[in-house]
Amino acid sequence: MTSALDTFPVTQMPADGHYGPAGIHGVSVRVFDPPALALLAARRGGASALTVAAHATLGLALADAPRLARANGLGTIGAGPGRWLVLAEAPEDLTARLAPLAAHAAITEQTDGYVGFELSGVRTRDVLAKGVAVDLDPAAFPPGAAATTNVAHINVTFWREPGEERFVFLVARSYRVAFARFLIASGAEYGIAFAHRG
Amino acid sequence: MRIPCPYCGARDASEFAYLGDATLTRPDPAAPDADEAFHAYVYLRDNPAGAHSEWWYHSGGCRRWVKVARDTTSHAIAGAELAGGAR
Repeated sequence: MTSALDTFPVTQMPADGHYGPAGIHGVSVRVFDPPALALLAARRGGASALTVAAHATLGLALADAPRLARANGLGTIGAGPGRWLVLAEAPEDLTARLAPLAAHAAITEQTDGYVGFELSGVRTRDVLAKGVAVDLDPAAFPPGAAATTNVAHINVTFWREPGEERFVFLVARSYRVAFARFLIASGAEYGIAFAHRG
Repeated sequence: MRIPCPYCGARDASEFAYLGDATLTRPDPAAPDADEAFHAYVYLRDNPAGAHSEWWYHSGGCRRWVKVARDTTSHAIAGAELAGGAR
């Protein structure tokens, strides 16, 4: 049996479109480039000073836990003890905006390093159950919960968005094709709408 | 086997890399018996059946070293803490 994926070289992103049985729409995937992304890593012993400075100068609440928090057009995602990914909602010079924190943290521009995948739809968790070894039940993984883990051997950082069943994944750019193929191969049975955001 | 990472929560062992015995202390290189002490530190290992303390690196998650108390006969894990102590 041939799969739609067989028609795409493994070096190219699959084409936008619907995969799976016609008329069934269980999952939507939107691929996007982060508007601006940076990694904030507290200097040794400086996590509490960084937390104070981030709150005072940028209004950011940095929780030392795998969680998403949003303020002033920035989302912060706990990626490890004393480390956060900072994702801007609109294009901006993120390193300049974070510069007041440079005394307390290493700031690494990552905008081109990652690709975002936004998953939504009633069968989203059924797709993710095939690759994510983290309990995604809302009781265990509520809106705002985040995790860094391996999915189909690909390292990802992801979180659950508030409201409807919606998850956002950040994937290293060089792995985006492999991750897209995992999603389509796993989600086609539920009907998956795959699109790049313009 | 699932390892309870203090930051990330319980995760499959495949996300971790194993370093080994966490009870060893690096010898003083200036001590007169440094050669023998380093030979023991680098090469000689006990092979305990039962409670063991060992290092696991959470390469697929928070990128931190975790000291895990594991029973080598049952894989039961009694506890885990981040290297460097403070969480």
